[in-house]
Amino acid sequence: MEIVLALAIGVLTASGVWLILRPRTFQVIIGLSLLSYAVNLFILVMGRLSSNAAPILPIRAAGDPTQFADPLPQALVLTAIVISFATTALFLVVLLASRGLTGTDHVDGRESER
Amino acid sequence: MISTETFLIAVLALPFVGSCLAILFKANARNAEAYLAGVVALVALVLVLLTYPRVLDGGVLEYRAAWVPELGLELSLRMDGLAWLLAVLVTGIGFLVVLYARYYMSPSDPVPRFFSFLLAFAGAMLGIVLSGNLIQLVFFWELTSLFSFLLIGYWHQNAQARDGARMALIITAAGGLCLFAGVLILGHIVGSYDLDRILASGATIRAHSLYLPALILILLGALTKSAQFPFHFWLPHAMAAPTPVSAYLHSATLVKAGVFLLVRLWPALGGTNEWLWLVASAGLITFILGAFIAVFQQDLKGLLAYSTISHLGLITVLIGLDTPLGQVAAIFHIVNHATFKASLFMAAGIIDHEAGTRDIRRLSGLWRFMPITATLAMVAAAAMAGVPLMNGFLSKEMFFAETIEIHDNSIVDQMLPYIVTAASMFTVAYSLRFILDVFFGPDPERLPRRPAEPPFLMRLPAELLVLICVVVGMAPALTIGPPLATAVRAVLGPVVPPYSLAVWHGFTPEFLMSLVAIAGGATIYVLLRPYLRVYSGLPLLQHINGQRIFDRVLLVVSWRLARRLESLLGTRRLQPQLQILVCAALVAGLAPLYVRGIGPTVSPQTTFDLVFAVIWAVGIACALAAAYQAKFHRLAALMLVGAAGLVTCISFVWLSAPDLALTQLVVETVTTVLLLLGLRWLPKRIQESRPNGTGGRLIRWYRVRDFAIAVASGSCLAALAYAIMTHPPPERISGYFVENAYNKGGGTNIVNVILVDFRAFDTLGEITVLGIVALTVFALLRRFRPAAESIPVPGQQRVQDLFDDASETRQRGDTVKSTMAVPAVMMTALFPVIGIAALYLLLRGHDLPGGGFVAGVMMATAFILQYMARGTIWVEAHLRVLPVRWMGTGLVMAAGVGAAAWFFNRPFLTSSVRYLDVPWVGAVPFASAMLFDVGVFALVVGATVLMLIAIAHQSLRSTRTPRPVSSTVALDESPWAKVP
Amino acid sequence: MSSFADHLTIAPVVLPLFAAAIMLALGGDHRVLNATLNVGSTAALIAIAIVLLRAADAAPLGLSAVYRLGNWPLPFGIDLVLDRLAAIMLLLASVLGLAAVVFSLARWHRVGAYFHPLVQLLLMGINGAFLTGDLFNLFVFFEVLLAASYGLALHGSGSARVMAGMHYIVVNLVASLLFLIGVSLIYGVAGTLNMADLAARIPTIRSEDRALLEAGAGILGIAFLVKAGMWPLCFWLPDTYAAAPPPVAALFAILTKVGVYILLRLWPLLFGGQAGAAGYFGGEGLLVGGLATVAFGAIGILASQDLARLASYSVLVSSGTVLAAIGMERTGMTGGALFYLVSSTLGLAALFLLIELVERGREPGADMLAVTRELYGEEHELEDTTHIGLVLPITMGVLGLAFICCALVLAGLPPLSGFIGKFALLTAALNPQADTISVAAWCFIAVLILSGLSTLIAMTRSGINVFWASPDRTVPRVRAIETVPVVALILLCAVQTIEAGPMMRFMYATAESLHAPNQYVRSVLGSAGEAPKSQRVDQ
Repeated sequence: MEIVLALAIGVLTASGVWLILRPRTFQVIIGLSLLSYAVNLFILVMGRLSSNAAPILPIRAAGDPTQFADPLPQALVLTAIVISFATTALFLVVLLASRGLTGTDHVDGRESER
Repeated sequence: MISTETFLIAVLALPFVGSCLAILFKANARNAEAYLAGVVALVALVLVLLTYPRVLDGGVLEYRAAWVPELGLELSLRMDGLAWLLAVLVTGIGFLVVLYARYYMSPSDPVPRFFSFLLAFAGAMLGIVLSGNLIQLVFFWELTSLFSFLLIGYWHQNAQARDGARMALIITAAGGLCLFAGVLILGHIVGSYDLDRILASGATIRAHSLYLPALILILLGALTKSAQFPFHFWLPHAMAAPTPVSAYLHSATLVKAGVFLLVRLWPALGGTNEWLWLVASAGLITFILGAFIAVFQQDLKGLLAYSTISHLGLITVLIGLDTPLGQVAAIFHIVNHATFKASLFMAAGIIDHEAGTRDIRRLSGLWRFMPITATLAMVAAAAMAGVPLMNGFLSKEMFFAETIEIHDNSIVDQMLPYIVTAASMFTVAYSLRFILDVFFGPDPERLPRRPAEPPFLMRLPAELLVLICVVVGMAPALTIGPPLATAVRAVLGPVVPPYSLAVWHGFTPEFLMSLVAIAGGATIYVLLRPYLRVYSGLPLLQHINGQRIFDRVLLVVSWRLARRLESLLGTRRLQPQLQILVCAALVAGLAPLYVRGIGPTVSPQTTFDLVFAVIWAVGIACALAAAYQAKFHRLAALMLVGAAGLVTCISFVWLSAPDLALTQLVVETVTTVLLLLGLRWLPKRIQESRPNGTGGRLIRWYRVRDFAIAVASGSCLAALAYAIMTHPPPERISGYFVENAYNKGGGTNIVNVILVDFRAFDTLGEITVLGIVALTVFALLRRFRPAAESIPVPGQQRVQDLFDDASETRQRGDTVKSTMAVPAVMMTALFPVIGIAALYLLLRGHDLPGGGFVAGVMMATAFILQYMARGTIWVEAHLRVLPVRWMGTGLVMAAGVGAAAWFFNRPFLTSSVRYLDVPWVGAVPFASAMLFDVGVFALVVGATVLMLIAIAHQSLRSTRTPRPVSSTVALDESPWAKVP
Repeated sequence: MSSFADHLTIAPVVLPLFAAAIMLALGGDHRVLNATLNVGSTAALIAIAIVLLRAADAAPLGLSAVYRLGNWPLPFGIDLVLDRLAAIMLLLASVLGLAAVVFSLARWHRVGAYFHPLVQLLLMGINGAFLTGDLFNLFVFFEVLLAASYGLALHGSGSARVMAGMHYIVVNLVASLLFLIGVSLIYGVAGTLNMADLAARIPTIRSEDRALLEAGAGILGIAFLVKAGMWPLCFWLPDTYAAAPPPVAALFAILTKVGVYILLRLWPLLFGGQAGAAGYFGGEGLLVGGLATVAFGAIGILASQDLARLASYSVLVSSGTVLAAIGMERTGMTGGALFYLVSSTLGLAALFLLIELVERGREPGADMLAVTRELYGEEHELEDTTHIGLVLPITMGVLGLAFICCALVLAGLPPLSGFIGKFALLTAALNPQADTISVAAWCFIAVLILSGLSTLIAMTRSGINVFWASPDRTVPRVRAIETVPVVALILLCAVQTIEAGPMMRFMYATAESLHAPNQYVRSVLGSAGEAPKSQRVDQ
């Protein structure tokens, strides 16, 4: 399964990077969200893979670490998700504002001489 | 009785204190300023004089105070014979210049600045002279440059002053930096910056491999300061300064700092061929050049400036000749030149002041108008020319004598006497010109003012100085002898070669040279005179203009070149920056793998799952499609990204991370809503035709490059991920969480316990970020100007409005209402349901998937649904949400729960667990951490709602449809319409 | 973990958080209240920082407190570590904060919404980044300070700010993603997030994992270098800083230093002496990159027309110098670098504030005129050549003096602290003990001195244009509350010169403990403490 996930991460990253290198603000924001998916998955797999081992204690007692998926990366991903959500919103507003102020959706605020 | 050592610190401190006081006076307080400055200078002079007995027989006065011991830097003042002589010069002439300036400066001049800078300069100069530590010397060295800059630019309303000041500063300060570097190297060689130790270890220095660089750097410092060729040209332009400044800084003291330093360091650096050649040749060229150019000057001060340059060259030659007697003569001439040149500048200033011009061609016959000044000038000029019975004569004799000596017996050395004699002729020539053209001949016509003698006190300084010239010239042994001896001894040590300060040595070769020089000078003057009367400027050298070259170079290097380099090495566009960033990360990530190899991998722990693979095939397809569509079909791209997000969600579930899946889901929803709201303000892109030809090819090339970068980074991250997944896991700290989540955290949902307890601090920060962003979004949208194309009402709505307007039974917006009727009801009904669900998620979060954040976002969506259903106006008229307050309260609550631990004297965020009996639910573990989660909930609700609504509100702003009165009221009291 | 002093360790983070939270809870738009809270809290932060500084300096290893949040044992919980370095940075940050806030009260806090809470939250993020001892928590605080900085950079909107802000945001978002990748890689290999624990584990890392570890560290490093503004990752900086509102720009002077701080903190710790095979990897890179940054900054300084850009490029010079100095990997260099860092940051902040005051009285485009005058030579005949000085209004006098002081500090000329800092660096580079001086040292010396010269040239040029070349300019209307912060910052530079002895001792002590990381590790993990059950309310 690792191979599938690795591929997934790879493709998400690649398309995200491709998009943030584009000149249009909307492409950049889409690219950023794709990248954040990739990074979230990446963080998660840093705890190695394990299915059907949700880190929720079945009984009210101390758990055995080997029985559960690594909970720490999950916590990190949760934080990361929240933050990327916030920054996406911010960037959205900034790109709207720049579109309004400069009259173009080019990332430099003016059509490049390309 | 205070010890004499304390005199030193007093001498140094006085001028600076005086300077600070001087700046405080009123703009027209000319007398007060003069008194203050005069007293300061006089007291300093007296203090210096009082120390004479201590330095008399080679004694050294020292004052040391620790400053930065780690750097071997200390405040160390050191007064020996040489320093004493220079200190007397600085303070004495300083006093006279102050007196002179009192009358020179016009009553309407804002003198506080002037005198303040003047005093500060005096202090800095004393600092150079008294430094016992080379770094400290550099310190004051740069200060003198700074204050000379300020003084030259005193009359900054005219451009010459500004340019002169700038040039002087840049050249001398740059020289100072070189000196700094040189001194640092010296310190590296010797292992200390202490002057005594450096002077003591001359042999080591000269033997060291770094001797030459150090020497060159230090020379650069000294020669720039003393206006030696090829750095001489700043001095004439410094003449834009008020004459007192020229008399003080640019003849007597500042420019002497360079040669002083050379004499100072001669014991350590001198005695090598490099020294002889570098110093002597620079001095010789300057001597000749200065004297030659001076003859052709038409401005009195210009003439004096070039003559100063040439005399400094003479001194430099003496030092460069590298003999003990050379140093003697150098010191002697430093003093003499200071006296006669200062008085000459004062005279020139008087003439300028009284006659209103300094142009030699316009001046003549002033003798009859100002006999006393004329006499003074004549005597001083005679000293300058080296006429017998004047002090200038004595040092010049010594100079000639030195040049006759054999040094390295090269051609130049053999030619030396003839060269200097020839050059001295020009010295005589310009001295003659100064006197005869200005004071004799017919009465001047059309002078701006009718010249007359200046007030007595204005003449007095010049008189005193001239008196010194004469007295020293007549009875050198009695007057200058002893102090000169002490100064010389300070440089040469106890063994001083014999030299005599007699007026008459008999018909020696040097005397002969003097006579030849005088005679020759007279003839040159006679020959040139008619030509000079009409002619302005320089024969044959006129095209070489130091200033112009300097300006051009400075402009090209410091402006044009810099601009080009800036645009070459930098960019102001975003895409290159991101490319560089990604590539840098690639290199950083791949280099170690390349160097060390990725290491062996164990077999995958999980088995291949077809369903999962298929799901991801879809996800991948979506991602690629989104990447392809994002430019023109934004909505499609949005949907595709959403799909990719869903796939991520699913894989979270598969990877046994239910909390993540849940959170991802709600976040996905809200993000999509946000982007949809945003799309409204992003005018549609019209697909333009692909440019062909070079432009098209260029774009294709850019695409290929970006594609390569993208693929590379994708595969890099994939490789890293795969490598980690297939490497055996290390011993991880997370085990502790699994073991203690319940016992110590009181929850069974480990992830949630980590979030609200083990690592609650992260969560606190995370929600803060959310809050900040919400505030920023709101603040930005308050100033939002939507894109012009997007302002008109969207097409669909317009159609509906037309339809409504057409039928008289309906009024605007009815169509929307009717089409939205059913969903509206449903969504309204949903509100409590979602609310309950959110609450449930919040409460159970500690044990099962859920938690404050998910609950918060859910609650927010409930609000948004209301907005969708009933429209902004209705909602805000009916329920008032104050998101900012929610956020604030949430933050206070979360942080407050953490701070509560303080009252139990536990660290911040220490939680406590106990069980509560909730009806129907049973025993619920109640951890204070859950309160924290409630805080999180509140903030998330506030922040999300604020952001969503802030964007939603834009539609109200821009549509021109008249709003019902009630709604405007509602708006005005609704918080996001309020303008703080 | 009981005394009041221990709880004071977290105050620099919690106090601004509460201040901001209260502002918001009260609706967030009571300007007077917010201003009062803001000033009060920032002033309190200074006091706290001073107390902490004294404590840290008094402590045996210069590390006075390890604050375990939630009372969890280390390395499992999050910890704040207070040592000399953290303390001095805290003090610097809060001083800048107060200056900026007071300055803003005259007008700038009015140009947009939520200025005061954002400033407090920015300070919270900065302080947290300085204090935390946990890698992921560091990320969180980076995000806090970044988010606040986004808000403040966009404060007052306007197209220049929005465009510059967008570049700033995008670049830093990508950098944050890199940060996450790096951290998670390190966790995946080393299994811990606590810095001290990580330092302790690195030598024991299996050799086949080391490549991955270094990859993580490298990617992390890139993220930090973006913050620190190292060439060629620094192009977003000049535009952003020049466009930001002056008080904000003054506050931003510390932001690049946060990146520098993290490098100072982590790099010797993780890859310092005892890190086994890893060694000081990337040292040369840091040195070369730092020098390149200084060079680029110096070029930019010369090439910039308006003062704001000039100041922004000076930021690059300053942080580049520190980076290069760290890259030299010598205690003396690091000590000097710290001293230089403090003085240059103060000078930069003062300059950013000053510029706005100076430019106020001038018509836009004056700089362009000045440049053309430079190009085609001055037209002398137009100038009046009366030999009577102009009476300067007191305002111009003060501003001019302040400008000269800033120029001196940044160009590293006497008498202010810039000279001492530069001297400390140069003398350390020449290092009187060793006989041979490395090529790197020579380059360092040359670049440093040349950058000083270019600063001098550029600032002389613009200073003359601003203060001298336009005698008929309207005198800016400046309020005392605006000049006081500038003067105060400059006075601090003066104090730093006079008190250079003790300060330099402090910096050297700091540098020594940085270069002896196992002390840090021991004192952090030593204070781990088992999770005290008794202290918890029993079920």
